[in-house]
Amino acid sequence: MQRINFTIQDYLEENPQIRRITRYVVFIAFIVLTGLAIYYAIEIYTWNGFIVGVSKSLVNGLALSMLLFLMVSGFFLIFGLCDVINFAHGAFFMLGGFLGFVLYIATEAVFLDPALPFYLIFGSNYFVLSIAAFTVSALGATAIMALIGGGIEFFTIRRLYGNPIAQILLTVGFMFIITQVAEIFFGPSQFSYFIIPNSQITYFFISGALDFGGGMIFSSYRIFLIFLGFTVAGLMFLGFRRTRIGLQIQAGIEDSEMVEALGTNIRRLFTIVFMLGAGLAGLSGAVLVPWIGANSGHGLTYLIYAFVIVVVGGAHYGRFEGTFFGALIVGLSMQFAAYFVPFLESVIVFIIMAIILIIRPGGLTGHE
Amino acid sequence: MNNLLEIENAHVYIGSFYILQGISLVVPKGEVTLLLGRNGSGKTTTMKTILGIYPPREGSITFKGENIAQLPTHKIVNKGMGYVPDTRRIFGSLSVEQNLIVSRRKGTSQDEMQERMELIFDLFPDMRRFLKQRAGTLSGGQQQMLAVARALVNNNELLLIDEPTEGLSPLLAKNLIASLDRLKEFATILLVEQNFRAVSKLGDNYYIFDSGKIVHEGDNMAALIEDKKLVAQYLGVSI
Repeated sequence: MQRINFTIQDYLEENPQIRRITRYVVFIAFIVLTGLAIYYAIEIYTWNGFIVGVSKSLVNGLALSMLLFLMVSGFFLIFGLCDVINFAHGAFFMLGGFLGFVLYIATEAVFLDPALPFYLIFGSNYFVLSIAAFTVSALGATAIMALIGGGIEFFTIRRLYGNPIAQILLTVGFMFIITQVAEIFFGPSQFSYFIIPNSQITYFFISGALDFGGGMIFSSYRIFLIFLGFTVAGLMFLGFRRTRIGLQIQAGIEDSEMVEALGTNIRRLFTIVFMLGAGLAGLSGAVLVPWIGANSGHGLTYLIYAFVIVVVGGAHYGRFEGTFFGALIVGLSMQFAAYFVPFLESVIVFIIMAIILIIRPGGLTGHE
Repeated sequence: MNNLLEIENAHVYIGSFYILQGISLVVPKGEVTLLLGRNGSGKTTTMKTILGIYPPREGSITFKGENIAQLPTHKIVNKGMGYVPDTRRIFGSLSVEQNLIVSRRKGTSQDEMQERMELIFDLFPDMRRFLKQRAGTLSGGQQQMLAVARALVNNNELLLIDEPTEGLSPLLAKNLIASLDRLKEFATILLVEQNFRAVSKLGDNYYIFDSGKIVHEGDNMAALIEDKKLVAQYLGVSI
């Protein structure tokens, strides 16, 4: 597949005229196909069913996109600044899920323990207790993963800058180690862990659904995820525009040697970026638990999504925003496919990736 | 102590290539020292060696009386060096202002930076106009102004300026050299320049490089220009 893809790319590279024509053809074909798809979807599902399907896919897709964005932005930062393809990133994400799960259950147990003062604060107010436990689990998973990521950078990857083969082998090794450790404690990927039913109080603060009537029922947690994702994305965006360290990271993605020659300790910046990236993976893994659950198989699955998103968004010299749009495309297309064409769910992202690579070989925001 | 920077018998390898084969030079305080020579003679490598990007395998580099030869780049730069690289290497995705903010070091306070900005605007009045513009969209001359300005954000005692007029039109090059001439008041300058005639009035001392060695040095630029044999041998365009 890849070889064919390269051949097509090379051919288009040499024949700009044909490339331009293909571009128009692809664009028109896209509109026609979308039109046809919508027409048949309305035929099959009726107008009402179509609207319900679209809105459900939209909500689920946005929620998934936000999760993917949080995870992949860490992957992108590490790749962009340190030039390290972090194969362990999916495993960080998976481990973040288990950390979130364990921390939630443990924090809940601590809050419920009658021998401890927390009991007096929360009493039987399970709503507040659940919010507190969730916050602790999300922030805790972020912090622990940041420490693990920073530690891995500081003690191992730091010695291997400029040696990509060794970096790949090392991070692949970490992926297997982390996955194996998770399997030892939580079993193989057949088992998914959810907060409920494992919680003692079997209550989670956003467990209900919003009903807009006419079959338009949305899980509130997924809507919460959309808001959380947008908030974190907005904070990151501001951080990269307004803070000195954010600007340094952006400048370093362009030319890290020059940033160092201006007097910045680039090694420290690398460690910070690893901590940030792994922390984001931990956060996204932890907030995934109430929806998709923690699962030792996530390491590999989500690593592949990370690759697709970075390639679609524009990998090298790409912009940060590219990752955001890449995540939107992957998340939305997967959820739309899951509802309307279920047999395409697992492959649609790769089809889209191939199309985008043919039209824009550098990804959405990268240079061609 | 008159010499701000001294390099003593530096041997530099890049990978397995033996690039600088025993370089010794001094940069006197308050003066402009020129590094001349053909492409690939080791001038830029000398700059990068001073900055610690290619640390010398042998030899010492003394800056303000302190050996900096094996320090990491950011520590060397923080002792008071500003670097203007040969291909400008501005950060194209950031605005001009953000480029300058990134360049501010920890030791330079916001207030100090404001003062330095006055100096920058004084040297390059045009910069006020494109301060908010994305650096990647600037013209070559504007990018070069930014590259020089980036080295001026901090109060640097030594400026390492590599091929500032490369790729600029003769008029822009002349203006830039006039700006560098004014910079002499504020800092010591180590300047790499292909077009040695353009900077002949600027330079106080010069070193001529050839194949990783210093083959000639002196402090009389006028005499150098007259020395046809030397110019033809080491500085002329070879066909």
